[in-house]
Parts: sequence; C-alpha cells; structure tokens
Amino acid sequence: MQQVKRWLVIEMKSMLVIGGGIAGIQSALDLADRGFHVYLVEREPSIGGHMALLDKTFPTNDCSMCILAPKMNECNAHPDIDILSYSEVAGLSGEAGDFSARVMRRARYVNEDKCTGCGECRARCPSKVPNEYNSNLDTRKAIFLPYPQAVPRVMTIDKDHCIYLTKGKCGVCRKVCSAGAVDYEQEDTFVDLDVAAVIVSTGFELFDPSQMPEYGYGRYANVITAMQYERMICASGPTSGHLETSPAKQHPEKIAFIQCVGSRDMQHNPYCCSVCCMHAVKESILAKEHYDESQSYIFYTDLRATGKGFEEYTARAEKDYGVQYIRSRPGQITEDAGTKKLTVWYDDTVNRKVKGLEVDMAVLCTCLVPAKGGEKLAKILGIEIDESGFFENMDELTSPLDSKRSGIFIAGYCQSPKDIPESVAQGSGAAARAAEVGSA
Amino acid sequence: MKQIIRNTKAYYCVECGKCTGSCPVARGNEFFSPRLIVERALSGMKQDIEGDRELWACLTCEACSKKCPSTVKYSEFIRGMRKMAFDSGFTSRCSQGGLLHSIQRIHSIKDLVQDRLDWAKDLKTSKKGEVLYFTGCLPYFENLFSAFVSPIEIAKSTVKILNFAGIVPAILQNERCCGHDLLWTGDSETFQKLARLNTEMIKESGASRVVTSCPECLRTLKLDYADLLESTGIEIMHISELISSLMKNNGIKFNRSGIMTYHDPCRLGRHLGIYDAPRDVIKSMGELVEMGNHMAESSCCGVSAWATCESMSKQMQVNRLIEAKSTGSDTLITSCPKCLIHLKCAVHNQIPVEKEKVDIRIEDLAVAAGKALAGD
Amino acid sequence: MIPRIGVFVCHCGTNIGGYVDVPDVVEYVKALPGVVHAERNIYTCADDGLTSIKNAIKSRDLNRVIVASCTPRTHAPLFRSAVAAAGLNPYLFELVNIREQCSWVHMKEKEAATQKAKDLIRMGVARVSLLEPQEEIRINVTPSALVIGGGVAGMTAALSIANQGFRVDLIEKESELGGMLRHLYTLYPDGRDASPVLAKFIENVKNNRNIEIHTSSRVKKVDGYIGNFTVWAENEKGPLEIRTGVLVVATGAEEFKPLGLYGYGAGAVLTELELEDRLRSGLLHTIKSAVFIQCAGARCSDRAYCSRICCNVAIKNAMILKQMFPEADINILHNGIRAYGTYEKMYRQAQELGVGFRKYSKEIPPEVMVNGERARVKFYHELMGKEIEYSPDLIVLSSPLVPHGDVEEISKMLKVPLGQDGFFLEAHVKLRPVDFATDGIFLCGTARAPADITESICQGYAAASRASIPLMKGYVQAEAITAVVDETKCIGCGYCASVCPYNAASMNEKTVAAEEFSYATKKSYINPALCKGCGTCAAGCPAGAITPNHFTLPQIIASIKAFQPERYTLAIA
Repeated sequence: MQQVKRWLVIEMKSMLVIGGGIAGIQSALDLADRGFHVYLVEREPSIGGHMALLDKTFPTNDCSMCILAPKMNECNAHPDIDILSYSEVAGLSGEAGDFSARVMRRARYVNEDKCTGCGECRARCPSKVPNEYNSNLDTRKAIFLPYPQAVPRVMTIDKDHCIYLTKGKCGVCRKVCSAGAVDYEQEDTFVDLDVAAVIVSTGFELFDPSQMPEYGYGRYANVITAMQYERMICASGPTSGHLETSPAKQHPEKIAFIQCVGSRDMQHNPYCCSVCCMHAVKESILAKEHYDESQSYIFYTDLRATGKGFEEYTARAEKDYGVQYIRSRPGQITEDAGTKKLTVWYDDTVNRKVKGLEVDMAVLCTCLVPAKGGEKLAKILGIEIDESGFFENMDELTSPLDSKRSGIFIAGYCQSPKDIPESVAQGSGAAARAAEVGSA
Repeated sequence: MKQIIRNTKAYYCVECGKCTGSCPVARGNEFFSPRLIVERALSGMKQDIEGDRELWACLTCEACSKKCPSTVKYSEFIRGMRKMAFDSGFTSRCSQGGLLHSIQRIHSIKDLVQDRLDWAKDLKTSKKGEVLYFTGCLPYFENLFSAFVSPIEIAKSTVKILNFAGIVPAILQNERCCGHDLLWTGDSETFQKLARLNTEMIKESGASRVVTSCPECLRTLKLDYADLLESTGIEIMHISELISSLMKNNGIKFNRSGIMTYHDPCRLGRHLGIYDAPRDVIKSMGELVEMGNHMAESSCCGVSAWATCESMSKQMQVNRLIEAKSTGSDTLITSCPKCLIHLKCAVHNQIPVEKEKVDIRIEDLAVAAGKALAGD
Repeated sequence: MIPRIGVFVCHCGTNIGGYVDVPDVVEYVKALPGVVHAERNIYTCADDGLTSIKNAIKSRDLNRVIVASCTPRTHAPLFRSAVAAAGLNPYLFELVNIREQCSWVHMKEKEAATQKAKDLIRMGVARVSLLEPQEEIRINVTPSALVIGGGVAGMTAALSIANQGFRVDLIEKESELGGMLRHLYTLYPDGRDASPVLAKFIENVKNNRNIEIHTSSRVKKVDGYIGNFTVWAENEKGPLEIRTGVLVVATGAEEFKPLGLYGYGAGAVLTELELEDRLRSGLLHTIKSAVFIQCAGARCSDRAYCSRICCNVAIKNAMILKQMFPEADINILHNGIRAYGTYEKMYRQAQELGVGFRKYSKEIPPEVMVNGERARVKFYHELMGKEIEYSPDLIVLSSPLVPHGDVEEISKMLKVPLGQDGFFLEAHVKLRPVDFATDGIFLCGTARAPADITESICQGYAAASRASIPLMKGYVQAEAITAVVDETKCIGCGYCASVCPYNAASMNEKTVAAEEFSYATKKSYINPALCKGCGTCAAGCPAGAITPNHFTLPQIIASIKAFQPERYTLAIA
C-alpha cells in the first residue's frame, strides 16, 4: 500500500495518558489516530481497567470484553501508542506543551520483549495466590497474566508471592521458559518522557463492604459484591459463568441486589456512584437469562435510570424478566447458620411494612471510590483533589476536562462518578483538549 | 419541632427505610416505624406524633442511627419528640407500673435522705477520694428484682476489684438517680434537677475519675451531664474500662475458666463505642465466642428507660438467649445491670421455647471478674 | 490460484470450547480439500492467536484465511489487519461465527453444536476459496468542519476544532448563539449566573479567527461523504454553499410544554424554563409556598425516557426560591430523586435549606386543581400512605427535554438515524457515544439525549476530538467492499438509487452506441466512497446488473452448496 504523507507536515508531539481503563484507552486512540505519539501508562500488568472484568454492559447487554478487547488490541498494535504497563508516574516537570514526565517501570521479572505469553511458566508455578482479577474467588499463580485477553500479553511475577524472590528457592519458571524471558534480577527502572500534555484517567476501585457489618460481608458466605457476581456470571470467570451458592454449590433461586452500599451514605461516601442502579438491573436480567427459575429483587432508593435508554431498560427488566424492585435500603442481613440462607430485613417503604425476605444470595452493589494513590499522584502532577478523592477541575461547570494545572486533563471516573459512555466521551474530550495544546 | 429536626439532622432523611429495616421493635410491632415518625415530623404533623403511643416503643438502641446513611441522630430525635409530647401532657407506658419513675422523681427532692450504703459495709470505701464509684440504682433494683437476680452483687464485686487493686473508692451517701430514664421519657425538667444534685455531689467528692457499673449512668454522666461537668476535667469511665486498664497497668490477672459470650449493651456499645474493654477482660478470664450479632450489630435486651416491656421485649430477650446458647458458651456475660435484669427476667417466668435452647448462665462482667480474681 | 487455506478455530475461553469439541473440529477441517493448515487457539484475538495467524501465513504459504470464532462485527477488522500484516490481501479472509450462531445457542447439545461448527466452517471454506482481493481507497479530506447548532455543545465543538487549527463553520438557526443557555437564569451545581458563562462562550467563539459564524441560518441540503461534504444553507443574506470535511450535529433539544397536564396554562403553573425566565426578569412575585412536580410528561407512555437533568434543575430552582423567601414552604413532589453522581451534594444542600422532598405514587400522579389565580395540589404520599394537599402560590412543572420539531428533517438530510425517543442515535451506545454510524458525521449535546451544561461541554469536546481525527490525518480509508454496476446489463430503471440508504447510487446520463444507431439512456453509478457494501441495490436490481464485491453470487452459492458435505467441492477462482 502506498504511504500517503500526513496532511499536516509538522512534527507531532507526544502525549502522556495515565491509566489504561476505557477512558484512557479512548484518549490514547483518539490522540494516536491523529498522529500524536502516546505513552499509555498503566499501573496493572494489563490495560483494560474494570471494564475488562465485567460480564455484560447495560443497557444493550453487549459482552464487555468482546467490545473492549478490540480496542485494547488496537492500542497494542497502534504504531503511535507505547503501552507502559506495570508502571507508575513518579515525577513531572515543565509546563503545558513541554512537560517532562518520569515513569517508574516496576520490575515484572519478565523481559517484555522476550515473553510470548505462552503460559508454560504459569502452568508450572507452584505458588497459588488469591486472584484479585476474579475478586479473589479463585487463585492465580505467582507468575501470571491477569486474564486471557491481557494486553500486553506478557507474564508478570508477583514478587510478594514468588517463592524464588521471597525465599531464594524454586526458579521453576526460569527453567521452563524456552524464550529465556524470566529475569529475577530485574529492577525497577525509570524512563523520562517529553510530552506536550497529560491526561489522567486513573479510574476507581471498589468500596470494601466489610465496613458495614449489618450486611455480613466476609461473615456470610452468600453475601457477595456485585464485582464478584460479575466474575461468577462471566463465562471466562472462576465458575465458568455459573452462579453458585456456598457451600451447596447450587444455582441461587432468589437473589437480592442491594444498592448504595457505601454510597449515598454520609457515613461512608456521600456521592451517588451513578452506576449501581443500572448494573443491578443488568445483573438481575443475566440471572434470569442463566436460570429461568431465578427471581431477583433490587433494593433501591431512587433507581437512577438517567442515561440514554436506561429507563426503558429498567422497565423491560421488570416486564420481561420479572425483576422486582423494592424501594428500601435494607437494615440488616442475617444468616441461617444451618442452611446458609440469608434473610434480608427491610422496610418496604411503599407498603410501609417491615419484612424479612429469605434469599439464597445477596449481592452488594458497592460504591466505586477513586482509585488509591490519587493523593500521591495529585502531588506529583501538581493538581488538586477534592474531599472525596476526585481530581478537581479548573472549573467544575465549564471546564470539566481541565485540571487546575494547565496542560493536564482529567477523564473518566477519577473526575466524578460516571458510566462507560460518559467515560468514553470524556476520554475523547480530554484528547481534544490535549490535542489543542499539542497543536498550539 | 423544627429545632429538633435541625439539631438531629432529620432534614437529611431520604426515606430509604434503613432505620426501620434495622429496628428490632419494628420487626415485631407493625405499628412502629422509626422512618415514619421522622417523615411525620418533616411534614409538620406534630399532634399526630404526640398522640401516638408508639412514640414510646423506641428502645433508643441506636441500631438505626448507627447505620443511617443520612446521619440522622435518631435517638436524640426520639428523645426530643418525647419531650415535646411530655410537655403536651402525654407520657410513656412505664413498665413496673411506673414505680421506678416515681422513685426517680422522688430522688429529685433536694432534702431527701437515703440509707443506701448498707451493701458496702464489708468493703473499703470512703466519702471522698480520687476515684468515685457511682453506684446507680443497684440498691433499689436489689429490692425490686431479688426474686431472680441480685443486682447489688455488681456493686459489691466492683468495689472488691477496686480494693484488690488498692483503690478505695468514694461512694455517695446521698447519690441520686442519674436521671437517664426520665430524660429518655421526656421529663427533662426532673432530669435537670437530678443532674444538678449529682454533679454537685460529684464535684464535692474531690474525685478526678468517676466509675459506673451501669452504661446508662455512664452515658448520662458522660454526655448528658457534659455541660455541668465541662470545666472539671473529671473522667467518666465504665468499670470494664477501668478493669481493662488495671490489667494493663497494674498487672491484675484472672483465673481462666470456661467459654463465654458477650452481650454488648446498647449504651456502652453503639452509644459510646466501648466494645474492646469488656472483651479484653473476658478474654483474660476464658475463651470468648462471639454471637452473630455482636458489637455494632448487637441486639438490644428489649427494654430501655423502663419505658416499654411488651411481648416484643420478651421475644427479643429469648432470641438473644437462643443466640447466646447456640455459641456453645457456658456463660453469657453482659456489662449492664439492666440488660442482666431483663435477660434474667425473660427466663424467670414462662418461656415460649424449650428450656434447653435458652439455658445459659447470665452474669455481669464485674461479678464474673470479681470471682475470677487471681490471687484473691 | 490454487487455494491454500488456513483455518484457526477459537475456543474463546469456554465460550466456544465449553460447548463445541474444538479439537475434533480442527481434525475435521484439516481433512477438507483446500485446507492446508488448521489449528486451535484459546483466544485467537489475543496476541498469541494473531501471531500464529501471521506465522502460519508465512510458513505454510497460505493464500486464504478463516477464523472460526465470534462475530465479525467486533473482530473482523482485527483479524484482517493481522492477515494484512503478514502480506496477504485482508479480503482473502473469512470469519465464521461459531459463537453467537453456534455455541451460545446450543449450550445444552454439545454434539450437535460440534457438528454445526463443522458445517459452518465447511461453508466458509467453500466461500473463502472464491474470494478475491479488494483494494481500500483513500479519500482526501477537506480540512474544515461544519457544526450545526450554536448551543453549548456546538460552540464547544467548534472552539476545540478551531483550536486544533482547522476552519469551522458554525451554523445557528436562531439570530444569536447560545441555545438553551440563553434561557437559563442560573446554573447548577453552584448556582452561578448563566449570563456570564454564555457571554464568555460567545466571546471565545467570536474572537476565534478559525470560526465563521452563520446565525439565522438553516441547513437546506447536504451532499457528499466524509472528507468531502457540501452543505447548502440559507439565511437573510441569501444561500450559502460550504464545502467541509466533517459535520457535527449539535442541534440541541427543547423543553416539553406540558399542555393538558397539571393545570399548565394557569397563571400559577409554570415550567422550569418559565420560572427561570421570571426569575431573570425579576417578575416573580413574593411567594409563601411552592410545589415542584417532577416527571411532568416524562417516564410515561408518551415519553418513556427519563430526562436526566430535571431533578437537578428542580433542586437548583427550589434552592433559589428558598433563598429568596426563606419562610416559604417549598416542596418537590417526585418519583425518585435522581441527583446522580456528585449532584447528590446539591440534594443534601437543598435539604439543609429546608426544601421538602415528597415522593408521589407513579400509579396515582399528583392532581392540580386550578381555580382562577389559585391552585391546589393533591397527591398521595406513597411512603407515608397519606393523601396530602397543598395550596401553593406557585406550581413548577419539571418537564422533560424533547427533540426539536425539525430533527426528522435533519435526520433525513444527513441520512443519520433517530432513536425511538426521537433523539439522534449514535453508532454504539456504549463505546461510540458521539459518532454516527455514517463516517464523518458526529453528535453531541442534547441532540443525542438529555444532558446538562457540563455534560454537553464534555460531549462537545468529544465530538471535536472524533471530528478532528480525519482532518489532522488528511485522508480517510474508504470501505473496500462496495457494489459495482455492469452497465451492459443495467436497464436504467433507477431502482438502486431509490433504495440506497447511503445515497451512493445515482443515475448517470449515458449514450449507448449500438451497431446502427446510438441512444441516450441512464446507467447506474455507485460512488465507491459512499458505498458501504450493504447489498440492498444488488438484491433489488431487476436486471441482475449489480454485484456486491466480496458477496458475489458464485461465492454465496458455493457456500450454500457446501451445507451438504457431499456437495462440497474445492472451487478455484
């Protein structure tokens, strides 16, 4: 194919995107597609963020990984994107148009250029670790890929659990690696990058519901988080797509979804996480699709179906999937010590009756809180963070993509609670802002 | 009413129902709903609230406010509503036929003379001292409930432990009821009288530290007397806290025996956040096995401020004992004389379940600790 | 060319592998004539899967590739580029869907699913043998944008594109820029005045030398395709003709006038915008009480959707009233307060101020009774189980945003779709929120769905980002799979032009020279830059003159024949 010269004959600058979830991926692609060189820095071993861990997405029930994976691969294959995974930004100097960023590339003890991702090492690794990518529902090895579609497809050694790195013994992975990629001597390194603008899209993490003892998370086996539910019902998850109660390993017949766990709660997080109403609706539809005999109950306060097509989606869930909406925030969950069935105690506010609903499984739709390390990153970048941990805008109303420092932009959940399309829109929008700086 | 709404942040209510869903009373009494009382207040329905007998059903156990997403101070709210009702001439349905409340009102007479120290005659006490033991209503309870419990043993054990640690506590010759029960049933005027009488005596005693057996006295002295004791710097503490500190600092030890479970009193736990001290003491006396509902999730003993004792109370007490028994413990420890009385009362008369299910020894923490003192 | 076919069967984790015996399928496929290589991958789309495709093309000298996995909608581009990377024309590739169309629908019948996977792949093999290379064409892009709509979203998009160095024509049908912002008194969440925000926007747009503003202008006709649009517009000065590379639709929305609902029309009953108008003009008399009614004309059978912003708007306006008249009794009657995200904070502030929130029942909506200047509101307080009545001085109806009356016209002109609620429909609700399915046309603001100022700004930037990509690149790659006309067969009936959804087919005047005489006629022409290869024209052509490349009759017939294993034969193109 004939190479056509770029229409704008100027030297294209580089850009830094911090956080490789869907917002950061969109920023990176938009910037690279117009010719900027993009460094996409991701703290985890793979880009993809939380979207990579979801089963389906509302309101179309599109398979999350199926629509995300092509974008992840596009980043990987893009000649103008460098993915710096397992890396963190350690310093930033300069000013808009001419920043110098220092990135710490954490030692993954595997040579990225040599590793083929074949998985032979993983198969032989003797060290089992709770698998955080499956919400700790199963185990992974100390040398691992977060999930099969990981990008880059490069193994990483978890140094806290690697027997060789902690005790000096083992070394099996190095022995079996025919590519010679395992390198126990690897150290953290630093690279300095010249960039015109920075986009921060560090996303969120999940609120720990064991802080709310009334719901029994951690004490009762059948109280799980919505993220655990997503992993369970996902075909590539730890139970191959089957919902299972514990310890009976049976499909739950009655499932309670409890919203606003740790959100809209002035004792925890005062804000609304903006997504738990809708993912609960989606998850209850999925339950019915998997098990026709199942019955879902969604305990909500306001059912905030505000996005495009959401109201219609919630109506469809009720009509076609028999989902029951109950306007109440339950007060307590108790467990029958023998059967391990749960009773959700709640005030049916519309009928003004206190009821105890027996269910097989209770799913806590936990708050999404800004990802940890935000404060440190804000300090490094010289930007500000609000009392809830969201990065602050130049002007929350009129410049929702600009941080308080010129040349640094914010996109996605780390700016304020939002869903995937809004994160994508902000990812694109922040790319436009960065491109304005880069074109100046 | 507007002021109460403001002070207790009731205006933040989003009507989510978490309070009512948490409420142990609402679970058995379909006419009672914490949420609906707030909603009526927000809608300005003053008379409706005042005339509602369910206003007095609340145990003020704070199971609701502890988790209220809108941080409504529910127990204070209900206290305010009760004061409002009381001022309009409505009263609670006192258990014990109102006897206890009458005694408490008599206590507010300035020139009252009491003979209440008989129990302490074999123990070392004084009139003044560094540490004051605020006995509370134990001597009165002893007379009322001796058919099935001996509350005065708590006082005796407490002083015994203090003496063992070399402390000679001051006790008040003419101590008055702390006023807790009247305060929580709307009679704040009498409460104020009692508070003034007590705080004067406490100040006169020269104590820098006041110890109570009763978590209700503790809460009252600590929070509700705060204005009157503010400048004194007097430390108010529960006996479990003092024993726990004696263990750490004075090397007090206990003989270990048996398996115990622990019932958190509402005022000690949810109201004041004292969860660890009693557990420290229990763990040094034996093995502690927790019930499912413990610490912030603990259930109430079913009665508060002698304001209510109904079938619901009995149900709650029996459920609690079943829960305690099912832990496999041989003793249920509590650290509140009133919890002790209520739980023991529940099994004293007829019980709605087989006796084996609730057959567990119930003992006060100080009594158990007094018996287990090592080297005694 | 003798086909040398490589087949890659994907397990898709357990999505396929859990229900289809993939190793058995691979063994079967290996034996098919023409197949010289077959293998299976846990995820063919993952890096190692793609690498093995590339390696096999080289090492086994493959000239045709099949991936049997999931839907081509998401994955065909990825596999095509892998094929291209190995030096093979990317159109000598076929994706056989054995997930959505096989494993997922036959989860309980493993043997049958395996047999069906074999059948589908065999049919694919028959087809791929006949595929021909296709060339992608590049189209130069006019380096400028045209934005339709001069509200917040449109102005933001115009400014950002202009700031990236491109010329922008901004078309606004009103005589002034600003759109909905012109009608607002204050803005949430901080309650600041709207007018300085508006003024700043207009100043920025006017001062930007890259932006040409066309107010009081209406788009009349649009022609062309990505990179090369021509837009005809009209204003008082006369017609305009603008050539542009990309289009941004930012036509906004308007407030629904709730005629016939809740006493609307009476003096004491206003919509939110009417209230803002009174507040701005200082015409609001003193009030002792006000009632807001939420979802006035929304979340009902006529308009099923939630208008997203009205709860926040009502909270903001209730706070203004409460601040102006602190003793007034202000109540918001709602069916769920949807102060999503950090707007929850504003909800809390309103509670602190003493604004009352009362939930009504969806089944028994509030009733407004108007009597001259006075109005009463009766509603069922669902959470208390009580009927409550107010006699407010003012009733404010929070009615939804609805599309403008002219959206259908614009939709037809641009050939972009509307959703069921009448707002413009984006290419993909999740991952392409500001793209249209038609290349080169983008979408932002309330033309897409109800959104507030801040969200419209975000979307304005997003559309600017997407629209500037082809401008900065300077070219676009058009669809390779297009339809072609065999003029000797074309009878000039024009049916194709009438059915083409992309306006790619047109009728050209032609002179046909026969042996003894020549005559003028019409022949179909399909613009390869516009054609998306949908095949509608070919299916409809009565003369069989149109062939969609890559989906030719012989290719399709070979595939159908191969459904019966005994009729599978290796075809050679």
